[in-house]
This record gives sequence, structure tokens and C-alpha cells, in this order.
Amino acid sequence: MYRRFPDGGFTPLSASRYDATNAETLTVRTMKTPVAFSIFFGFLFLLTGCDSTDAEPEPVILDVKMAENVPADPASGRDPDTGASISNNLFTLYDLEAGSILIPSSQTDAATRQRDSTSTAWDIGFKGTTIIFNGGTSGPGEAAAQMLAQPFAEVVEAPEGGYIADGENTSCPEVFTPVGPVPGSPYAICTGSDNGWYNYNAGTMLLSPIPGRTIVLKTASGNYAKIRILSYYQNNPDPPDASVPSRYYTFEYVLRPDGSRDLTSE
Amino acid sequence: MRLPRLFLALVLVIPSLTARAQQVPADSVKADSSRVVEMSPIVVTATRSEKALEDVAVPTTVVLAETMQMQGAVRLSDVLVTVPGLALFDDHGTGLQVQGFAPDYTLILLDGEPVIGRTAGTLDLNRLTVQGLDRVEIVRGPSSSLYGSEALAGVVNLITAPAAEGFRSALGGRFGSFGTTDFTAEVEAGRERAGARLLFNRYASAGYDLTPASFGTTSPAFTDWTADWRSRFALSDRVLLRLGARATVEDQEGAFALSADGTEVRYDDEGRRVDWSLHPEARIRLSDRLRLTTTLYGARYRTETRYRRQRDGVLTYEDDFDQYYLKAETQLDALWNGRHLTSLGGGAVQERLGGDRYGPDADGERPAANQTYAFAQHEWLPLRLVEVSASARFDAHSDYAARLTPKIALLVHPADNLRFRLSVGSGFKAPAFRQFYLAFTNAAAGYSVFGATRVQEGVAQLQAEGVIDHLFFDPATLEEIRAESSVAVNIGGSIEPFPRLAFSVNAFHNNVRDLIETQPIARKTNGQFVFGYFNLARIYTRGIETDATIRAIAGRRSRLDIILGYQFLQARDREVVEALETGTVFGRNPSGREYRLGPGDYGGMFGRSPHTATFRTVYAHTPFGLTASVRGRWRSRYGYRDLDGNALANRDDEFVAPYAVFDATVTKTVPALGPADAEIQLGVDNVLDITRPTLVPSLPGRRLYAALRLTL
Repeated sequence: MYRRFPDGGFTPLSASRYDATNAETLTVRTMKTPVAFSIFFGFLFLLTGCDSTDAEPEPVILDVKMAENVPADPASGRDPDTGASISNNLFTLYDLEAGSILIPSSQTDAATRQRDSTSTAWDIGFKGTTIIFNGGTSGPGEAAAQMLAQPFAEVVEAPEGGYIADGENTSCPEVFTPVGPVPGSPYAICTGSDNGWYNYNAGTMLLSPIPGRTIVLKTASGNYAKIRILSYYQNNPDPPDASVPSRYYTFEYVLRPDGSRDLTSE
Repeated sequence: MRLPRLFLALVLVIPSLTARAQQVPADSVKADSSRVVEMSPIVVTATRSEKALEDVAVPTTVVLAETMQMQGAVRLSDVLVTVPGLALFDDHGTGLQVQGFAPDYTLILLDGEPVIGRTAGTLDLNRLTVQGLDRVEIVRGPSSSLYGSEALAGVVNLITAPAAEGFRSALGGRFGSFGTTDFTAEVEAGRERAGARLLFNRYASAGYDLTPASFGTTSPAFTDWTADWRSRFALSDRVLLRLGARATVEDQEGAFALSADGTEVRYDDEGRRVDWSLHPEARIRLSDRLRLTTTLYGARYRTETRYRRQRDGVLTYEDDFDQYYLKAETQLDALWNGRHLTSLGGGAVQERLGGDRYGPDADGERPAANQTYAFAQHEWLPLRLVEVSASARFDAHSDYAARLTPKIALLVHPADNLRFRLSVGSGFKAPAFRQFYLAFTNAAAGYSVFGATRVQEGVAQLQAEGVIDHLFFDPATLEEIRAESSVAVNIGGSIEPFPRLAFSVNAFHNNVRDLIETQPIARKTNGQFVFGYFNLARIYTRGIETDATIRAIAGRRSRLDIILGYQFLQARDREVVEALETGTVFGRNPSGREYRLGPGDYGGMFGRSPHTATFRTVYAHTPFGLTASVRGRWRSRYGYRDLDGNALANRDDEFVAPYAVFDATVTKTVPALGPADAEIQLGVDNVLDITRPTLVPSLPGRRLYAALRLTL
């Protein structure tokens, strides 16, 4: 719910979840760990007598940050003739470092979109079930990502290699056809049910994030992060409910701001 | 040693002239009340010719009219639910699950001809009254080598009773909970050479609501009418003509609510179903060793569905469906000698579809399909104790790839009380109508789905409209869709270790491939997909079904039978099993923790209980004309939904908890009440009042009923 800036300050991630009464306690709780560690390591220095040059770097236990109800081009109206939902067909661009939306999909002003989408201020974008990263064919940044078949909590270190920029993914599951396989769309995170981050149940018409899938990425500025998508529906209903407006992402993530691949989180 | 039973085929060349089928000719076992198997009923489904049940090489069960009546059965679902190894399956009606297969994979026949009309693959068993039936035969394992499509998991054949000699009329009425009523009137007249029976049945219910807190009924109110005609006429000693006809109408009224933009909107739901069938047949004895049977069969099934908004009465949804089925078939049975019997047959089927979802194609043609087929079967007794039967069928269809379906079965009976059965065969199911002919675009969601025959023109039209963003491949290069097919092995046997105990067991393995699923063909400019149908998935079902019959009391005046059944079942998707083995499947508990799943965590395909058990006891006291019957069925838990996103049932809250349902009936026959014989029946269904309101909508609470039947 709170993200910590590299300077150690805290700021609420999402205004809707901001609660002044909890802010203090959370700050205290998250502050405790590094303090405890420094005391512990302080003892180690004393006992081993090591000098600081070959000391283990102090592990930074990162916060898990939560982004809620990030709109991903939700319905903006209905076609008066057919009743079909209409949307803007635009991405929401999200800045993981700042923990905020840079451009929502509701921003239709072309000049604003042009200015912001060609910057490196965003890392990840959402439109419907498609997720893009600021790199490759999607943007000017150096963002690249990969999907790991590992639970979020178990990903304690970002892999060294394997990051793919949008437009360069040649390994997306092919669309199986009797005339032979057809390559999937070359996004870093493959599109389609059961190919990437979600599966779709035609019986219940429910789209669910696949458990045990963690997106690991390099941000536009080259830092490492891991992401777990929790819900595609507004307010993350529990149990999942397909009648709730969709195209609202709730996800949690851990961002390492210093370029290290260590993603140990609480 | 008795004569080889192949002779039955000739003895019973004109079976209905002699008597009802369960009255077996002299060479069969004599009726003996101290034995569990008093006499073996004659069945026809497994080999398309008459055969004593115990001599059939494939797993077959028969439920006789007497049993159905004593159990208070009204509809076919009431009969099948008590048969060991069968389970009912709620999906757009009450369907039948045989050896772990969904209802689409079991063929339902009325006097050997297919009952048509399925909704989402389910043929609702509540459509069929049991009145007028002589018996229901259930064959497990594939019979596609004789019956073609849909006979992949099994075949259920409803055999009507031929009109007996003399004049008889009967009236029956039954009143029960939830305003359920069932009335039957029948008239039957027959002489040696001709006979006819006319039957009317009205079955109605006021419906029920298991979730009073939410608006709408669980089961709608309905009224179902059935008129049924069966007649026989012997032109000569050699030619028998038969005519069967049936018409049914059902009206139903329900209500439901949908939530639209956060507010509840209430609708009335009206439905009407009309279906009829006409079934003339000629059976000609060409010689003592040759018999020719020619059948024509026509059927129509039509439904209308209307949703009206209660607020203003506006018709918001309307869906009509119309299906015609026409078939001509001929079969020749040749008995070479006591050891060889050959059956050859062939026919043609024409089907036509109409209705809102199956509109004309670009050329204005309504969906229609033509099929021709031929089958052959040879039954051979190489040794006195061994019988082999081999069959094969070739189906050529206008819309899916032609196929050949073989089967071989072996029966060994080293002793009169011991039989081993082995059969290996293939089964298939033709693509469903939607998989052929659907051309559907969801206006609200924006995606499109096309059946195999509509893909090309559908995609071309969307391209012309400019809404295709990216075509994954050219639909013109698509291979012809194939039927879903299986290879199955059934192995088992039966033993009667003591005269009062019979035991049978069957192990089965069905390996199914080419199951049809949707896959995207193109991406539209709105980000949605265009879907087509492809042969993709592979599953297997395997298990053991076993039952034991015990005659606990075998006196002259009274009798007590106990029948126990148990089935073990595994129904699994091969792709899921492979993914679980490689360790890429995870679960997520309610607090969000994720954990890796192994093959042992797979709860199987949805709706399949690994363990089911049934029991049935029947007590009959002859001097009092009294019979009492208690029946029970239990099923272990089964998956029904996915909550954690892995598309599997693995978490406890994704399963329906185990439950058991008990039914009881008492029937008393009063020999003479004025000019009529009377039978009074009292019964309780679901004695323990078990309900699973949203999970098992077909399981209402406790139901009481009383019935009276008069025979003149």
C-alpha cells in the first residue's frame, strides 16, 4: 500500500487506500526490519572482525507495493445501436518507480499522449489483456520482461538474462492450426488465454490470472522488478465475479531501485 | 450344455408375435426364484439382434418395466439414477454420465432409433416418460461400430412394450410435492397377428426454488404432454410391419434476474418444446436363415425461448431452434449355421437445421448435412465356450472427414455361472451443430465464433467490413474437421458363486483424442478475437464398475434382493496431467499464497466423482401383493469451479462436498377392485432432504408422492 522512495520517505501508492491512521503504524513496521538487520550485522562485524571492504552488502528487504484498479481501457460507453461496449482503444501507461499512472487510457488528447508515451517516465502499459513495456516496439526505454513459472514470493533474485523487449519475442505459443503453427504476437508477455498471465474460462466467462506466474522486468531506466497480477476486475472481487466491470488491474510488485537483481521482499 | 444362443436370432425372428421380450424361449434358464438371475432377459442393443443378456460380450444392464414401476420411476432420469456406474450431470438439463463422459457422448435410442434434440450437448432425460416401456437397456463402452456418432461412452435404448393379445386399458395418476403430477391413460388391443397401443401421459410440476433469497426459480414450472402409438401387423408368417409414433409438447415458465450496471433487472422466461418422431419398420423373414429389416425414421425437435422484462413486458431475447432428422436403413441378418451369424446394414441420414443461431449461409442455404453409412458384424462360436463378435462401420458425412470404426468383443463362459468379457473398440462423436454451422458475433463483447463450414465466408465478410486486424492463417487452407474419437478397452466378467449371489465387474479405459475446442483464427480491430473450432484436446477416462446382487430371502411367499454397486473413476485431461508433471501448475490459497501442484493434486475433470456407490433393496411379499424398495446413491466430492485461476479443481472450495440421497417406495396390489385391478403406491424421494441449492439444481428437497393405477 505504500511505496518507499530511495530516499527512505513513504508515500501512499493509491489515494483510495490512503489512511492517515494506518500510515504511522505501517511506517514503523517497515522501518523496523532494516534497523534490526543493521544491529544484527553490526554484531557480525564485531565477532568476525572483518573490515568493511569485503563485508556482505546489507540486504535490503523490499516492500511489496500494491497498485489497484489501474484502468486498462475499460468500457467508456455503449454503442446505441448494437449495445456493444465502446472503449478508447488506448493504453494506460504506468510508472512503477513513482507508483502512479502517467497517462490513463481515458486521456484522449493526442498531443499529451504523444509527449508522454515517447518518454521513459513509464514502465508498463495496459490495454485489455495486453501488457506492454517501455522498450522495443512499445517505447523508447530499455524495458524488457519475461514470465517466470514461479510463485511471486519465491522469486528472490531477478534472472540475469532472458529479458525480451516487445516486438522481439519469437517464442510466444503458436496459434495451433491444421496448416501448421502460426507465431503468436511478439510481445514480451505473450497474449492469449493460457499463453501469458491469464486464462479465460468460456463457461464462467471469467478471466483469471494464472497462479504461479511472475513477471520479472527491467524498467525503462534499467532497474529490476517483479510483478504479480491479482485481478482484472474492478475492486478485485473475492470470489472472482465476471459481472463486475473488467479491464481494471490490481497487481502487486517489488522494485529494486539500485540496479541490483536482488528482489527479496517481505 | 445349452444350445448356442445364436439361435435366438432365428427363434425370435418375429419376437413381438410371441410375447414380450423378457419371456424367453425354452432354451434359456428356467425361472427359479432361489437364484438371483431367475432368467436372463433378451436384449437387442449390444449386437442389433436378440440375445440373452448373460451372453452379451459387452457390459450391459437392463432395467425392466416391473422394476421401474416398483421404484416409482416417472421419467428416464429416475430409472438411470439407480443403475450402478451411471451418474446424472446437470448442464442445460439432466444428462447422463457414462464412464466419466459428458452427456454428449451417450446415444439415447427409442426402439433403436436416436432421440434428437440436445441443448449444449445434453439430452434432457426428463423429456422421456417411462410409461409404455418394456425395458431400458444400457450398454457401456463404445458402440459406434454399430450405431455411429454419439455412441462413444455408451448407448441407452428405450424399448417399448409391444401390444399384447387381448384388450387392456389402464389409468394412472400420481400427486407429489412441488405440485408434481403425472397422469397416464393407455388403451391396448391385440390379436395374434395385429395389435396396437395408444398412450397419453401428462407430467407437470409447479417448479421449485432452492434459493429463496434471490429472485427466480431453480426449476421452472412446466407441463409436458406425450402421446405415443405402437402397433404391429403381420402381413403373413414372413412379414411383420411395425409403426411407432410419438409426439410431445412441453411448456415451461420461469423467472430470473440479471444485474445490469449494478441494478437487478427481472425477466420472465418462457419456453416451449415440440418434438415428434415417426418410425415405420418392416421385418421380413426371407428364409429360415435370412432376415431383412427395413426402417424409416423421421423426427423433428423444435424449441422456442422468450425472455420478457417484467418491468415493461418488452421481449428482450428470443431464440428458436428447429431440427429435422430423416433416416432410412436396412439390415440383413444371416445365420450360416449354429456357429456363424452375420449382420450387414446400411443407410442414409439427412439432417436440417433452422433457428436464430443457425441462419442461412452466404448462398442462402440453411444448414443441412447428409450422411451415408454401412456396417457389418459377424458373431462366431469357434468353440463351445467361446464367442467372438467383430463389427465395423463406415460413415461418410458431408461436413466432416469420413471414418471407419471397428470393434471386437470376446465372451468366454467356462461354466454356466462364470463369464469373462473383453472388448476393444473405437467410438466417435460427430462435431456438434455449433461446431459446424455457428456464425455468431457477440454484439456486447465483440468477439466472433464460426463453425467449420462457416469459417471461410465469415472471415471473408469480416475482412470486407474492415474489422480484421491480423489474420493468423488463411481459413481456406483449413483441413476438414474430424469427429472426436476414442479407443476403449472393457474387460470384466460375472460370476454366480452361489445361487443366491451374483457378482460382476468391469474395468474400462477410454482414450479420447481430437476433442474439439475453440482457438483464435484472427484478431479484430477491437482487440477481440475470431474463434474457430479445432481438433485439439486429449483426455482419458478409466475406472472399475462393479455390482453384487444378493437374494437375502428366497421364500415361496417373500423375497428380498439387495443390489450393491460401486464405481471408481478417473477422468483426466492429458495436457493438464503433463503440465502437472512438469511442475508449471500452481494453486493459490485464499490468502494469496501460491504453491506448486503435482499430479496428485488434480481433482479430475469437473463434475466427475472418483467414487460413487449405489444400493437398492427390494422386498416382495406375494400373498399381500406388497413390495417395498429402498434405494440410495452416494457420490464422493467432485470439482465444479475454479477460483484460483489455474482452470483446475484443486482447492477444497472448488469441490461439491460428497452427498448421499435415499429414496423409498411401498407398492400394494389390490387384485380386484370392482372390474379393475388396482395398484397403490406411496413414496418418498430424497428422504434425508439433502440439497445443494446452487450446485445441484436438479436435487430438490424431500418429495412425497402417492399414486394409484387401475388396469381394466
